[in-house]
Amino acid sequence: MQLYDPTTSGPQRELLRAPPLTSLDGKTIGILENGKLNATEMLRELARLFEDRHGCKVHAAYSKSNASAPAPAQILKKAADEVDFLITGLGD
Amino acid sequence: MLCTEPFEVTARNIARVLGLPSYPFLRVQHPIGSCTLPELEARAQVAYEQAVPILLRA
Amino acid sequence: MTLSRPAKDAGEPFMSIAARIHEVPDNLLAAIDYCYEKGWTDGLPVVPPTLERVHATLEHEGRPPETVIATHPATGLELSLHAAAVNAVMAGCLPEYFPVLVAAFEAMDKPDFNFHGSTASTGGSAPLLIVSGGYADDIGMNADVNLFGPGNRANATIGRAVRLILRNVFQMVPGISDKSTQGHPGKYSFCIAERMRGNPWPLLCEAQGYPKGVSSVTVFAAGGFCNVENHGGNTPQQVLSSIADAMASYGCITLGQSVVILAPEHMRILADAGWSREEAQTYLFMHAKRSVEGMRAVGKYRASEYEKQHGAHAHQLVETGYVHRGLAPEDILMTLGGGDAGGHSCFIPSWSRGRGSIMQHKPIGVCIDCN
Repeated sequence: MQLYDPTTSGPQRELLRAPPLTSLDGKTIGILENGKLNATEMLRELARLFEDRHGCKVHAAYSKSNASAPAPAQILKKAADEVDFLITGLGD
Repeated sequence: MLCTEPFEVTARNIARVLGLPSYPFLRVQHPIGSCTLPELEARAQVAYEQAVPILLRA
Repeated sequence: MTLSRPAKDAGEPFMSIAARIHEVPDNLLAAIDYCYEKGWTDGLPVVPPTLERVHATLEHEGRPPETVIATHPATGLELSLHAAAVNAVMAGCLPEYFPVLVAAFEAMDKPDFNFHGSTASTGGSAPLLIVSGGYADDIGMNADVNLFGPGNRANATIGRAVRLILRNVFQMVPGISDKSTQGHPGKYSFCIAERMRGNPWPLLCEAQGYPKGVSSVTVFAAGGFCNVENHGGNTPQQVLSSIADAMASYGCITLGQSVVILAPEHMRILADAGWSREEAQTYLFMHAKRSVEGMRAVGKYRASEYEKQHGAHAHQLVETGYVHRGLAPEDILMTLGGGDAGGHSCFIPSWSRGRGSIMQHKPIGVCIDCN
C-alpha cells in the first residue's frame, strides 16, 4: 500500500546570528514589545540593568500591534539601523 | 529574545523552522502578565545574567 | 522515497511537486498504526491516505495540485491543494467535501484571520466553519438536531481535516506550537451548516453579498461553546437578554467578535415579533456589557481597550462607563441552527482578549473578483 505523506517540509533555511559585541559599554538598546500584559515593563526592567551597569541607553521602544504575527519588516530594519541590540519577548 | 519557561519548546521549534536551531533564548519564570514590579525586577536580573554572555559570545 | 511523476492519463493529476510516498504493508490496520507512529493523527485513527483516494479528492478542484492556498505567516510553511487533499482523506472526507475545506483555508489565509496566532495562543481557540447555502445540503451537512455534536460525516470530517492540516502541514502541534492552556473539544472538529429551513433572515451567503446560488464558508477563531438555556422567555428581549448575559460574562467579555446560533424555538420568538438580524445584533451589543468598576474589580479593565471602544471611532451605541462586547453590532454573527425542540441557543466568543482575529468568508467552489 502506498500512502501520501500529509506533512510539508518548509524551504531549507540557514540564518546567521549577528556578530557578537566586543563590549556592552555605552551601547544603544531597542525594546520591541508584543502587546502582552507587562511586556513593556518586563523589557524595560531588563534594559534598565544594562543602563545602570554598562551605561547603555534605550534608544527606542518599538511595538508589534499583533503579538502572534511576525514583527513588520520595516520595524526590524529600523531597529537594525538604529540600535546595537534589541530586547524582545515571545509568548505570554 | 526572552521567553518564559513554558514557551521554551515553542521558541526552539520556531528557531528550528526558521533555520537557526541553536538560537539562544533568555528563560525566566512564568508568568509575566500578573507580576508585581518586584517580581519583574527579579526576572530581569535572571534574564540579564543570561543575556550578557549571549551578547558577548563569551 | 520521494516521487515526482507526470500524469499517466487525463484523469490523473500531474504532480509537479515532489510528493513523498510511504510504502506500508498492504494491511489496513497496519497502515492505520503506521499513521499513528508517524505522528500524523489527532489521537484518533485516521483513514490511510492512499494515492487513489487523494487523486479522487483532487478531482473536485480545477487548479493544479501544487497550487498554494494558504501560507503560515510566521514560518512560511505552505499548504498546497495536494497536501490539503491528503489530510482531507485522512480525516475521512468524501471528495465532494473538498471545496469547502479549500475555501475555508483560503479564508483563513487572509491576514486579518491570523490563523497562526489563534491556533498557537494559550487562549485555545479553534477555527469554527459555518457553511451557508445550498452546497451544505448537496453534501449532506447537518444544520439541525445535534448541530455541534457527532454523527454527521461531512460536519465531522471537514472540521477534522482543518485540524489535521494545522498539525501536519503547519506543524501547530499541541504542546509545542499550540500552547492552548486547556483547549476545547472544537479542536477535534468544529464545523456546522447554517440552517435554511425555517430561517426568517437572509442566509449568511446572501448577507455576505455573494451571487444567488453561491454558497460560502465563514471561518471564526472560536473559543469554547456556551449553551444559553431559556425555556420561559417568550419575548425577543427576554431571549436576547439571556444571551447578552452569557456574552458579558467576565470570563468572556472582550472587544472581540461573537457568534450566536439561535435555536429554532428562540428564533421563532424573534420572527413572530418581526425582529430582523440587525435589530437582534443591536440589542445584544447594547446589553452585553460590564461596568468599568466591575472590570476593574476582576482585574480585566484596560484603559487602552476602553479608549479603543469609546474613542474617536466609537459606535454611537457605546455607553460611557461600560465595556461592551465587541466594537459594533456587526461584530456579532447571528443565524439559525439546531433542532426544532429545545430553548437552547449558543454563544461562542472569539479568541483573544482583543481583536486578534477577525472572521472571514469565502465562496465555495467559485472564484469571485479574482485577479
